[in-house]
Amino acid sequence: MSQQPQVSREMQNAFVDGQLDAADWTAMVERIGTDETLRRQVCELRTVKDMLRGAYADAHPRSFARASNRWSWARVAGFALLFAAAGWLAHAGIQGHGEVAAIMARSGVDLRGVAADRILVHVASSRGEVVDTALQEVEDYLQEAHAAGRKVRVEIVANNTGMDILRADTSAYAKRLERLRAVYPNLTYIACNQTADRLREQGVAVRLLPGVHVAPTALDEIVKRMQQGWVYIRA
Amino acid sequence: MRRIFGVAARFRGEVEAQREPLYRLAYSWCHDRSLADDLVQETLLRALDRAGQLNDPQRLRSWLCAILANCLKDHFRRAKPHEPLDDEMAAQGEGPEAASAGAQLAARVRAEVERLPLGQRQVVTLVDLEGFSYAEVGQILEVPVGTVMSRLCRAREALRGRLIDIAAEQNNKVRSIR
Repeated sequence: MSQQPQVSREMQNAFVDGQLDAADWTAMVERIGTDETLRRQVCELRTVKDMLRGAYADAHPRSFARASNRWSWARVAGFALLFAAAGWLAHAGIQGHGEVAAIMARSGVDLRGVAADRILVHVASSRGEVVDTALQEVEDYLQEAHAAGRKVRVEIVANNTGMDILRADTSAYAKRLERLRAVYPNLTYIACNQTADRLREQGVAVRLLPGVHVAPTALDEIVKRMQQGWVYIRA
Repeated sequence: MRRIFGVAARFRGEVEAQREPLYRLAYSWCHDRSLADDLVQETLLRALDRAGQLNDPQRLRSWLCAILANCLKDHFRRAKPHEPLDDEMAAQGEGPEAASAGAQLAARVRAEVERLPLGQRQVVTLVDLEGFSYAEVGQILEVPVGTVMSRLCRAREALRGRLIDIAAEQNNKVRSIR
């Protein structure tokens, strides 16, 4: 009796994963019926696949259960719309507050219900060009508002690596942030506690710059502010 | 206006339904609950930000997974030390973390998955946890199908080798039940 060629591991995996076409699948089934070794190998692959699936069955997002009590997707009505509408001033090639209003107006949002003088800037990256642009835009905006006598409020919310700018041990912008804060008391810095927790778990001693506030998560702060009519801008 | 709100609400609902599987996938990639939370949050924000880029609603799941993969890539690009993508050996896994036998088994399997290089880990979890086809996995990770198959093959071979004893026990239990 001539020995049959070995079925490749790729073929065995494709069989277990249902990736074979009908003809190959039928051929595999027939071969498994006569080849004890192949049957065992396929059985082991199937078992490993099932074990992997079972190993993550109880993996649930911690923040999901917690957050769902504080805010729901229903409570952030308009969230996606505003993300799509506002964008970051620089990304959209737009400069200044009036233009943000314009882009939102084009998207059909009623500006009478939106306090466009309250802006949240979300910084999720520590990349120099991102932070530089964000801070420059914020400064220009505050300067322009101050000159026009308008009362505005700006919050810079940082998470992920964006948190670096608000950390005393990592920030390359400490002096600039301090100067801005001194000139514009209506500017607030918010750090994400979820990011801070993650850093602490990694053994990092998180020390924030003076005057930096902490929110449970960046997303919580963003949602809260947007519900209050703030304009969201992602750096 | 009504149409826009209708679309946005439906989109939010569809994305919401994917939050838990996204977390499971993120956790299986990084084995760090806080980081997985962050990655899902970031994925969610990016998805909402780029809702207009999803041309085919049927591809929502794979689109979200692709965003998640990019979020993880961005994370490792920023973080040090560098997470090995494929051929280098990844970090040692976690130890047993729970009292029950089932939890210990799950912890052992997760530890072995964690030891896989990231590229293999992503492929095997996308196939096993999310049930994506090889072609879909290739699209999500932006690699050819051949790469998907070879990474999957190496991942399963490694897992099989390390979990073979436990797998045999499982098989015996199944046989005895039958």
